[in-house]
Amino acid sequence: MHPAVYKVGLQYLSGDISGGNARCIAMLQAFQEVVKDYSTPPEKTLNRNMAAKISSYVSFLRDCRPLSVSMENAIRFVKNRIAKLPITLSESEAKAALKSDIARFINEKIIGADTVIVKHAVTKIRDGDVLLTYGSPTAVEMVLLHAHELGKKFRVLVVDSRPKLQGQLLLRRLIKRGINCAYTHINAISYIMHQVTKVFLGASSVFSNGTVYSRVGTACVAMVATAFRVPVLVCCEAYKFHERVLLDYSICSSNELGDPNAISKVHGREDINYFDGLTNNANLKFLNLMYDATPSDYISMIITDYGMVPPTSVPVIVRECQKEHNCFESPKIVI
Amino acid sequence: MPDVQSTVVEFVNKLRKRKIEGSQATAKCTVELLRSVISHQRVPHANQAAALIDAVKAVGEQLVAANPVELAVGNVVRRVLHIIREEDLSLTTAAMGGLDLLDASDDDDVDNCKGIGYPAMSAAVVAAAARSTLRPPSLQTLLEGTPESATVPYTSSSGADSESKSKSADKSSLTRKLKHDVIEGVNQLIHEIAGCHEQIAEQAIEHIHQNEVILTLGSSRTVLEFMCAAKEKKRSFRVFVAEGAPRYQGHLLAKELVARGLQTTVITDSAVFAMISRVNMVIIGAHAVMANGGVIGPVGVNMAALAAQKHAVPFVVLAGSHKLCPLYPHNPEVLLNELRSPSELLDFGEFSDCLDFGAGSGSIQVVNPTFDYVPPNLVSLFITDTGGHNPSYMYRLIADYYSADDLVM
Repeated sequence: MHPAVYKVGLQYLSGDISGGNARCIAMLQAFQEVVKDYSTPPEKTLNRNMAAKISSYVSFLRDCRPLSVSMENAIRFVKNRIAKLPITLSESEAKAALKSDIARFINEKIIGADTVIVKHAVTKIRDGDVLLTYGSPTAVEMVLLHAHELGKKFRVLVVDSRPKLQGQLLLRRLIKRGINCAYTHINAISYIMHQVTKVFLGASSVFSNGTVYSRVGTACVAMVATAFRVPVLVCCEAYKFHERVLLDYSICSSNELGDPNAISKVHGREDINYFDGLTNNANLKFLNLMYDATPSDYISMIITDYGMVPPTSVPVIVRECQKEHNCFESPKIVI
Repeated sequence: MPDVQSTVVEFVNKLRKRKIEGSQATAKCTVELLRSVISHQRVPHANQAAALIDAVKAVGEQLVAANPVELAVGNVVRRVLHIIREEDLSLTTAAMGGLDLLDASDDDDVDNCKGIGYPAMSAAVVAAAARSTLRPPSLQTLLEGTPESATVPYTSSSGADSESKSKSADKSSLTRKLKHDVIEGVNQLIHEIAGCHEQIAEQAIEHIHQNEVILTLGSSRTVLEFMCAAKEKKRSFRVFVAEGAPRYQGHLLAKELVARGLQTTVITDSAVFAMISRVNMVIIGAHAVMANGGVIGPVGVNMAALAAQKHAVPFVVLAGSHKLCPLYPHNPEVLLNELRSPSELLDFGEFSDCLDFGAGSGSIQVVNPTFDYVPPNLVSLFITDTGGHNPSYMYRLIADYYSADDLVM
């Protein structure tokens, strides 16, 4: 077990690293360390051996915390590159090529994509806007901060929910940069939605039928926004798109479940302790869903590094991405 | 009188400080207070009903002003006023029935102008009474024009006092009878308010079927009794309870349900849309029901109602008849809502650095409403103590319970 992978796994387990992009970047950087320290054992080929090693690390990370779709796509990319390494390359050349591929993936698909998304999205923000966001999506935060730097005058409404209360982190960061914010909890969205001009949401993944897979509660926000005729814009990098389709909005087959104690105990409110002594009761259960699926008819537009598209164009982008991967050549190393 | 005044002041203070929790408790206390006001009120011989109405209205206005968001107070005051008017009307018709008989026996006294004036008077009185109890006006009442209020019979009866001793005897018994009847009506109202849970729970067995999954929000005693009644009749079903942050009333309800032996799962409010596809019915208890069929409920019910509509899940609202308000909601989110303390959402200690509005730091505003409004098109069924109703029918119940003169207080 490589120490870098071990460290990343523990960070996932404790929740120090959260968010699709952060988790993916951390994992890829750990893989870069793995490649750097790798040496092929005798009687083994580099391709197969390294792929096997990566698979074992991936199953360790999966035990720490179920993989997000962005991570799965990145792993698929890495394995693809390993498989495509020409046999003629020496070990050091192969390692260098692999490391640079991973670096290119991070720079183009994640960081570069975020820059393009921010550039597209700020054109949608006008003076006097009241923008609503849910939770703490990294892409949306970058958009808001950039728009504020450009001097646009707008207000942000941060909606939060239990048990993670990630909105408080976003709230703090926005306030520190001077953006006027309001804060509320998800039950109150019907109360505030009439003031809102646009809703910006983040996504963990987008499926090919346009369904957006993201933090639980996003579907509720999108639904109420649609009922009040407020446009919903989802900011999502193209590498998170997936060719699967999803109909079941509770994703009961593969939804990640969080800690049930996070529901029964309320952090910071010791007076809410109705369940003391009842936790072993057979009739009482807690369900802590992590993700949910938002139907595509609640989404007005998805902002990606490929442009601003309606949810119906997602399968087109998935196909473009796959074509790109297939001809994603490693740079020729000239000796 | 003075001690009634002090109880009124005490109650007004309790309402203002929100010391009384729950519409049923508030309604019951209000009715009991009005009952003591009525029984202590000295009524003149003439215009009895008007005196009682004025006294109740005066107290009622104070109570409503103390807590305008608790609509049950206003509802119950209007119910009492309606009772007064109805008892007055029934006594009038009984009295007229008695006086008409006397008139028939006094046929010879043609010179009695009061006797001649009576038939016309009685029609006018009936018209007035009919208008005040919201019965559809007949052609006769429309042609009579707008007579005075139902106090007319007493002036005529006081005029007829000189006629016969029997009539005056009737009149003084009328005096006592009105108050007595009103107090009886008010007692019945108290009984009705106290018993609304049982009446509603009786209908549970028709709506909850075997192996159903039910979603609920907030903590309503009506909902609890409803589900337990179904469980008593050996229906086995599961309940999902949304926890209802930041008051966490869902935790309270879940604890009660588990204590009564129902299979309960507590979910977060954000998971309502995710779980709605797995649910057969959504049942909530209302804080108030408006005249158009709209519902004021705990915050978060509009979200659940929209999700239920998307998945064609029936959205059932339980409400006792004391929650039916004869007002139409104009901008209910603002006018019929209360904002609670931000400390329930943000810990002031943790956020103290952000609350300092220094240079370069943005301002922060925290929104924490108590209630939510659900428009009538999202509600599938109302279950009240009088049975199940469509939202489009609720306005009709107002005619049964309230008088048109009392709507604006």
